Amino acid sequence: MNYVATVGEREVKVTVEVLGGSNYKVTLDGREVVVDAHQVANHLWSVLYGYASLEVDVTPVPGDAFEVLINGDCHKFALMNEQRRAMIRAGGKGAAGKAMVTSPMPGKVVKLLVSEGEEVKVDQGVIVVEAMKMENELKSAIAGKVKEIFVAEGEVVESGAKLLLVE
Amino acid sequence: MFEKILIANRGEIAVRVLRACKEMGIPTVAVFSEVDRRALHTRYADEAYCIGPPPARESYLVIDKIIEVAKASGAKAIHPGYGFLAENPLFADRCEKEKIKLIGPSAYAMRTMGSKTLARKTVQAAGVPVVPGTVDPISSEEEVFRVAREIGFPVMLKATAGGGGKGLRLVREEGELRSSLRMAKSEAKSAFSDDSVYIEKYIENPRHVEIQILGDQHGNYVHLCERECSIQRRHQKVIEESPSVIIAPEVRAAMGKVAIEAARAVKYEGAGTCEFLVDRKRNFFFLEMNTRLQVEHPVTEMVTGIDIVKEQIRVAAGEKLSIRQEDVSQTGHAIECRVYAEDPEKNFIPCPGTVTSLRIPGGPGVRDDSGMYAGFEIPIYYDPIISKLVAWGKDRTEAIARMKRALAEYVVTGVKTTIPFHIRVMNNRHFVAGDFDTNFIDKVFFKEEEARELEHGEVALVAAAIQVHAEERKHAVAQKPGEAGGPVSMWKYSTRPGIRKIG
Repeated sequence: MNYVATVGEREVKVTVEVLGGSNYKVTLDGREVVVDAHQVANHLWSVLYGYASLEVDVTPVPGDAFEVLINGDCHKFALMNEQRRAMIRAGGKGAAGKAMVTSPMPGKVVKLLVSEGEEVKVDQGVIVVEAMKMENELKSAIAGKVKEIFVAEGEVVESGAKLLLVE
Repeated sequence: MFEKILIANRGEIAVRVLRACKEMGIPTVAVFSEVDRRALHTRYADEAYCIGPPPARESYLVIDKIIEVAKASGAKAIHPGYGFLAENPLFADRCEKEKIKLIGPSAYAMRTMGSKTLARKTVQAAGVPVVPGTVDPISSEEEVFRVAREIGFPVMLKATAGGGGKGLRLVREEGELRSSLRMAKSEAKSAFSDDSVYIEKYIENPRHVEIQILGDQHGNYVHLCERECSIQRRHQKVIEESPSVIIAPEVRAAMGKVAIEAARAVKYEGAGTCEFLVDRKRNFFFLEMNTRLQVEHPVTEMVTGIDIVKEQIRVAAGEKLSIRQEDVSQTGHAIECRVYAEDPEKNFIPCPGTVTSLRIPGGPGVRDDSGMYAGFEIPIYYDPIISKLVAWGKDRTEAIARMKRALAEYVVTGVKTTIPFHIRVMNNRHFVAGDFDTNFIDKVFFKEEEARELEHGEVALVAAAIQVHAEERKHAVAQKPGEAGGPVSMWKYSTRPGIRKIG
């Protein structure tokens, strides 16, 4: 299977082929490496890279992106297969000028700082969500008008829950 | 000795206290909220009582319920841990009235030291050096402005009932004072139901060094030397160590002496901690006294060999301290890393959830004080601390090396933790050199981190590609007709509540 990784500005073509067992043949821009990658838990891999033995934690994050932890270092990049990338390219940017504020963690809505129809600035705090005794003020990524509010004060929300829409 | 002890807390500290009780052969009683039925402390105690709904103010903070359980279970003493009711004088009063021994200082000592302004007055009178500032809580805005001008900017606004970095605001110039005051007051109000604040001269680039003390009911006191807690993120301690690299033997002795004087001034009983700020010239100023067991007590235990929790229990039972000052010394070096369920990649946002797998580090010189296990769901209602990892070494170099090794062994999946952050601090040259102050993490460390080249970038890409590939394959298999009924999808199907047949 063919993939494209985007690391900062750089694009890397990646292919993966199963060799059997936990062995894979991977190419990075045509350069071939053989790795032994054993999945020990969901998202957690024991990787033998050459003879280097590494614990690798691969967390997918929204936007086909990944946060990969190795020895405390967090590597961030996007990676997707070629078809998906082609589809996204064809689809264009989509809903420009809209920004959904979502809850980054499970918690409780403590306070709504804005009401529907209100004008907000970039980085203006719009809602306060409490988790583990800490109040977290979430901000609007864009300037615009509060189009819709999906939650009420006191409501318990899941991670990723839609809180409000700014347009 | 007590026939039975109730632990009025949860999480890692409840487990820590339970361990001491078990080693002393004392039966234990746990209390738990509805969401903590499966928590480690509930499982680990000899008896466990549910005390109500998940929010702490409906369970762990309800004095009546705790007292009721103590009576029902026949517990003769209560260990409050830290946080929750640990420094609440009303709770101490109530325990006294009910003839249940609270393992900790008297309500009087809590009240005096709990009011920062009263604490300042009291210790000042006992000859302890304090930071310049007000002694009384300030209520009016005009007064805040007047005092701030008098002692000179920068100043610190602090909640009178504060702790844990809440209700704390640094004000660099007069223009910021009004809005900072409003925020400090509102934070103090919501965290402690008391919006009074006081004001102090801000000491630039201080180090935070604290002295652990123990006192008994017979007027005996010892100090267990210092802990350095300058590695803080937004005024919250994250890494502590003992000894401190900046404390010379004569300074240690002087700080120990005044800490004991502060304790004596309130007839302190049990374990307590005097916190000091140390400036560049190694002058030290009393900051506050914490009238409870500290989160970071294990580093002191590791270097002194003294079990602070057991001493607390013995002293509360009326025994004399088992140690004299000349018996106390620091052997080697210990470091503690507080592991929080927070995502260091997303500005340390709390990250509750289920621990799907867990590997706890072991080997020489490593101690893990934890309240979690694989399969445990970390609730959203409480503090995000899930574990304290402590490493001991014959010197600081070995302790750091050991901590790095232990952190690399520590695997927690399902929730994000601060373990990667700790690995990076252990590798930071300033930390290794002992060259830091309380602003180090926020002002220096994160900037240096941004500029740092990461290792193993190629492995990261390869692993992510393999994971995506593996998931696509799984997906493809499940979608093939005829294979849709494979074991994976059947399992999902049968557990979906809407379509489960009830037989």
